[in-house]
Amino acid sequence: MTEKRKVVEFNPMRSEEDTVRVLLVDDEPDYRETIGKRLRARGFQVSEASNGREALEALSREQADVVVMDVKMPVMDGLEALPEIKEAFPRVEVILLTGHASPEDGVTGIKAGAFDYLCKPVKLEHLMSKVRQARDKLLWEEERARQAEFRERMEQQMIVTERLASVGVMASGVAHEINNPLAIIQEAAGWIGNLLGKAEMADMPRKEDFEKALEKIFKSVERAKKITHQLLGFVRKTESISKEVHLEEFVGEVISLVEREAKDRNVRLLADVQPQCAALWTDPNPLRQVLLNLATNAIHACGREGEVMIRARQKEHETILSVRDEGQGIPKEDLYRIFEPFFTTKSPDQGTGLGLFVSRNMVEKLGGKLEVESQLGRGSTFWVKLPQRPDIPREDFPNDRGAS
Amino acid sequence: MVKIPINILIVDDEEDFVEMLCLRLQDQGNNVKGVHDGRGCLRALEEEDVDVVVLDIKMPGMDGIETLQEIKRQAPITEVILLTGHGSIETAVDGMKLGAFDYLRKPAAFEELLEKLEAARERKADQEDRIRRAEAQALLRRTGDV
Repeated sequence: MTEKRKVVEFNPMRSEEDTVRVLLVDDEPDYRETIGKRLRARGFQVSEASNGREALEALSREQADVVVMDVKMPVMDGLEALPEIKEAFPRVEVILLTGHASPEDGVTGIKAGAFDYLCKPVKLEHLMSKVRQARDKLLWEEERARQAEFRERMEQQMIVTERLASVGVMASGVAHEINNPLAIIQEAAGWIGNLLGKAEMADMPRKEDFEKALEKIFKSVERAKKITHQLLGFVRKTESISKEVHLEEFVGEVISLVEREAKDRNVRLLADVQPQCAALWTDPNPLRQVLLNLATNAIHACGREGEVMIRARQKEHETILSVRDEGQGIPKEDLYRIFEPFFTTKSPDQGTGLGLFVSRNMVEKLGGKLEVESQLGRGSTFWVKLPQRPDIPREDFPNDRGAS
Repeated sequence: MVKIPINILIVDDEEDFVEMLCLRLQDQGNNVKGVHDGRGCLRALEEEDVDVVVLDIKMPGMDGIETLQEIKRQAPITEVILLTGHGSIETAVDGMKLGAFDYLRKPAAFEELLEKLEAARERKADQEDRIRRAEAQALLRRTGDV
């Protein structure tokens, strides 16, 4: 039994102009030389082997596109070598040369995966035509594989986008419906609270227990309220406005809004707005909400002490706002998930897990991108990249072939 | 300060909500009635003197804004406080342009509601004062030009 060869991947990026590499396998050296010389004269790149085993060795050393192989050879004949070649080098096309008395070998070969066969003696023109056909088939299959990969990637992307979109729609529907029962729970709990406070209830047994439970109800209603407000804000159909936003003032506003939170935790807040930062044309309300979200996250990430830096920079036609913290950083496996709805590492009453989901959506609606960079133990930076004017078309370059 | 009872009408299709809110507001010393739709609201306004209507914007059938317009037609001095779910804040602002006193997002904080109710009651009371003085003036003018 011959040993199994490992599969060698074919070089995918070739074009029609590239030379076709032919491996000529025949036990008669004169025959090889004759055919080889003529193939080379017509521009093919030819290497040689004298039997099936040598052919396999040659292929693992140097890739070939088409193998032209005699059937009758010692050591390992063409029909034996064929399945091994197809297994180890699936993209190589094999053309068998059969004895003129045994064309059935050719049929056997085709059934076993050969591209075609020719009967000896072979007319050179026929051989070259066959080789070119085999090469064309190769190119065509590579193209198909590329397109299939591209299509699959697009479908994956669309599934994700659609899922997020329908999550959004469903989320707002749910949130809307939930507001009503929430209002009732709040009123009913408030009413119980009122009753407990009355004079006739002063001596009620276990009053504190009731009051404690009531506290928890109020707190949970607040939490639920936050979630629904955020979700509904996400799908808000407000008309967006577009005005000139002066970044120094804007960043100052954001800082003053989170000052208290930062002070409570001993976190330093720094602003750094590049003077040549042009004014930004955008809708300040969602942008402010996004920055508030990022700044609050950054402050929380710092724990009991640290520094949060809010920066504004101008780069060509882009304005880049960044929020950097010196917190614990985000582990790599979470980096892909932090923008998912409800993903959070905070405890339930500290965060809804919606901030980044809503923020990213808002930034995208403004025509921009929300990105993150993070190092465990060092901290994270969130980037809000916005076109200076919303009507300037953003050029999205595919970052690898097929993606968009 | 002595608490002045406010005559309140609550209009919302959520019955449990109306019931709880009525109890709480009554407990605060107000005269409160609850109905569940626009028609019920207009009927109640015909039968009693209402200072402030607390009106849900989103109701099936006759919606909040329609009801508001009818209230302003029927009883223009009655104040209206709108209750909105989220997405209808723009509608609430439109409502204010149509004469509503103010609005609150649901679920509304009770304290806030009390503040707005009192402010609305005051505004109505002031307006009624002005009307009385104007009527007195008009009467004087008719009789007094002697």
